[in-house]
Amino acid sequence: MTNLNEYNDVWVFTEIKDHENVNNCALEILGKAREIADQLNQKLVAIVLAYEADKYFSTIKNYGVDKIIFINHIDLKHYHEKIFPELIFNLIKKYQPSIFLFPSTEASSALSARLAYQCQTGLVNNALNLELDKKKNNLLLTDKPAYGGNYSVKIVCPKTRPQMCTITTGTFQKKESKKDNIDLIEEKYNFDKNKLKIKIIGTPTRKDKPSASLSDAKFVIGGGCGIGSKENFEKLYKLADYTDGQVGGTRRPIFNDWMPEHLQIGISGETIKPNLYLAFGISGAIQHVVGITDSETIIAINTDPNASIFRVSDYCVIGDAKEILEGLLKQYENE
Amino acid sequence: MLNIYVLIKQVPKSDNLQINRKTGALIRRNVENIINPDDIHGIELALTLKQKYTGTITAITMGPLQAETALREAIAMGVDNGLLITDPMFAYSDTLQTTLILKEVFEKIKDYDVIITGTETSDSSTGQVPYQLSEALEIPLITDIFSYEIEKDLFKCQRNFGHESQFIEVKLPIIIRISKHFNKTRHVPLSGIKRAFEKELEHIDFNYLNCPSKIDGCNKSPTQVIKTEKLIHKRKNEFINGSIKEKIQRILHIMKDHGVEKRWMNKK
Ligand SMILES: Cc1cc2nc3c(=O)[nH]c(=O)nc-3n(C[C@H](O)[C@H](O)[C@H](O)COP(=O)(O)OP(=O)(O)OC[C@H]3O[C@@H](n4cnc5c(N)ncnc54)[C@H](O)[C@@H]3O)c2cc1C
Ligand SMILES: Nc1ncnc2c1ncn2[C@@H]1O[C@H](COP(=O)(O)O)[C@@H](O)[C@H]1O
Repeated sequence: MTNLNEYNDVWVFTEIKDHENVNNCALEILGKAREIADQLNQKLVAIVLAYEADKYFSTIKNYGVDKIIFINHIDLKHYHEKIFPELIFNLIKKYQPSIFLFPSTEASSALSARLAYQCQTGLVNNALNLELDKKKNNLLLTDKPAYGGNYSVKIVCPKTRPQMCTITTGTFQKKESKKDNIDLIEEKYNFDKNKLKIKIIGTPTRKDKPSASLSDAKFVIGGGCGIGSKENFEKLYKLADYTDGQVGGTRRPIFNDWMPEHLQIGISGETIKPNLYLAFGISGAIQHVVGITDSETIIAINTDPNASIFRVSDYCVIGDAKEILEGLLKQYENE
Repeated sequence: MLNIYVLIKQVPKSDNLQINRKTGALIRRNVENIINPDDIHGIELALTLKQKYTGTITAITMGPLQAETALREAIAMGVDNGLLITDPMFAYSDTLQTTLILKEVFEKIKDYDVIITGTETSDSSTGQVPYQLSEALEIPLITDIFSYEIEKDLFKCQRNFGHESQFIEVKLPIIIRISKHFNKTRHVPLSGIKRAFEKELEHIDFNYLNCPSKIDGCNKSPTQVIKTEKLIHKRKNEFINGSIKEKIQRILHIMKDHGVEKRWMNKK
């Protein structure tokens, strides 16, 4: 049986994206985690695994952390499916955090699921809210969407530690605050690569890197699988050109090579808050929807009258994305 | 000859769910149950693997007795065997308990080459089972693949991983996780439907397990759901009707109302 009193402190996996910057969602989580740590009278700890880890400290220090525990190694340049879980599991065993929070990016979702198994503890993914249950020993209460995003369920993890959850981008606001004495604790990198079972052949090709950010755009044109082809997808860019809008989309177009990765909207991409979001051929998967809920107005175009995107839209248009897109373009061309 | 296992879950069709106001539990009566959308595509991959490399396919589901229907549907599609993991002790399992039960089952099966899972279930959408099963069985989980081949006991494929597209090689056994975009499912042959009703399904219960001390869905699941609520989205949900021309005009109108105008452009 886990002795709950031996577990202390609130940890945030402060994911580093593309060996370049600290994941935004992780910074947002730090703000909320600070509040929770204060209520518990415990420490807030950022966990950083990276190459040249120290270059991110100046940013992280602005978000209220008491401590940064880090591992610095060239093998940690990008998320690795075996190395990260093993190293972090060792940290958990050593320090025994009570709460461990993760951004809900793909890497952190994978990482947290593996860690939850190793720790034999519970994990709530895509939490929409966090609070402490004052009546029940300050248990962590989390809300998460279920049943295709139609319901919200409240979940607790009463008997095992750490209490783990992943949190969607845009759930919390970034909050700057700075502690006086921030502890920096370096842990050793130690991993036996001989036990890796997956062999990478040749040199992998790099997918596109982020350049512009969608998060400030006033008009966003979103494309999903229902656009049908790369050729049709190009028309979104044309519409964006005419209207000073910005193109973004779901994960499918990236897969199909219609769109570069940095234009992804949703839990593993950007959160947008435009005046208008025009969604073409998007089903409305919860991973996408969480990235668009701050839009002032949403228009969705989909051939399926039951598409879940309609439930979160102001205006619902049943129709063929290509046809409507071409119609809109024609208007602008004739003007 | 491959021993292929495909994990499927029966889920409620999600457009019209009812929740018991007092208990917060889903009212399962009168709910139409379907195979989890991702998992149908898992079955399809299993069928393709069998065609290409020969072998046997077993569909496995953990759930109440009525989940037999899901297995019969899988058999109708062409799966060879169906295995139902069911016991009152398994009810209310969360992901970790589900994984521990599946682990026990696979440890008894021993001879598995490929285990196929979906990305997530539409009811709980945790997406955790594939990763946790990979930990439990200590075999690699391969996600986001697009092309693949199997040579002897070597699985070679192209996958997206993080910021990269990689060619990888890995020894069987493995878990392959796919989503509904991976392939197109085939039509169910008439002969399949007949076979589905005749086929005897195998059942596994609590007594079958090797080390049952860790298993108790209700009391040993680390996570507990304490409340379920309908999510209200504060949106207009207005359907725009009319001809395609009218729809386009209306969209243009809304765009203008939101400050979207044609941009003045330099001719090149
Ligand atoms: C860990 C994880 C993280 C993820 N992160 C993200 C993320 O950040 N962002 C993201 O978007 N996704 C993410 N996903 C994927 C997500 O679950 C969905 O698979 C994805 O959003 C679906 O994309 P889609 O709506 O374009 O495609 P689909 O689900 O295939 O939907 C296509 C839609 O187009 C409609 N359609 C078809 N033809 C037409 C036509 N001619 N005209 C109009 N409509 C048409 C269909 O009715 C359907 O509704 C993530 C998944 C996981 C597991
Ligand atoms: N009860 C279950 N029985 C069989 N397979 C399951 C079960 N629950 C989850 N799975 C498998 O795990 C995948 C991911 O589910 P989840 O992690 O619950 O979102 C599903 O697509 C199934 O392939």
